[in-house]
Amino acid sequence: MSLQVRVEEREPEVFVVAPVGEVNTDTYLELEKKVNEVIPKAKALIFDLKEMTYISSMGLSIFFRVKQKLGEKNAKFLWVDPQPQIQKVFDVMKVLPDAMVASLEEADEYLDTFLDGVQKGKIDPKTPHDKGA
Amino acid sequence: MLFERRLPNRLENVNAFIKEALVQFSRLSLPESDIFHLKLVLEEALTNAMRHGNRLDPDLFVDVSVELQGEKLIMKVKDEGRGFDFSKVPDPTHRDNKEKPNGRGVFLIKQLMNEVEFFDGGSGIKMTKFLDR
Repeated sequence: MSLQVRVEEREPEVFVVAPVGEVNTDTYLELEKKVNEVIPKAKALIFDLKEMTYISSMGLSIFFRVKQKLGEKNAKFLWVDPQPQIQKVFDVMKVLPDAMVASLEEADEYLDTFLDGVQKGKIDPKTPHDKGA
Repeated sequence: MLFERRLPNRLENVNAFIKEALVQFSRLSLPESDIFHLKLVLEEALTNAMRHGNRLDPDLFVDVSVELQGEKLIMKVKDEGRGFDFSKVPDPTHRDNKEKPNGRGVFLIKQLMNEVEFFDGGSGIKMTKFLDR
């Protein structure tokens, strides 16, 4: 029932955080610590959930806190590829459905469009958009 | 009665107990999704009992029992606290409550179990799952 957290800077200031294993009462602080290290450097953060096998409400709270912190600095938050059991928990709890995308590739595509739009002044990052914070 | 335990009120006991429970559940030929839900609601009920019921007092205990009645699995968790008004637990999926951390555990339990009852003024919870074997 252990947790490993992989962090990758996919492109400058765009981070992928991948919890591997269970996010439960014993392990959620480990995930939150890693995420908090990344948030100050991130203009976008993607949770890759492919290898996250379990999450309890303590873990879910991290998602809401991350969204809030990233929103405060106008950074984007997305999550991708949850396992079916996890997806059900997210559906039940209505966890940030507008931050979900199907895959890392789709997240890249979305972020490219979004960040390009911000850079060219076509998108105001403070205005709500289809996806994420 | 499948098993019952009196757990010292320390959060590190939650997942140790769940590990033991999973061994018992694995003997019941349950679908993987049922095992996932039973594990999740046990974690939520036990952490709620220790954190909110017993207020993390290490001198107190939480009693937990798991019983099989025909095709019903009945789990009871009881703390030594004063209980709470379970009618006032906020809906954590309501847009006004989404950022608030409280209520997610109870909400998940209600969504994932077939029947949920509180007893002894809210210091105990009885959770029933109809098994589909």
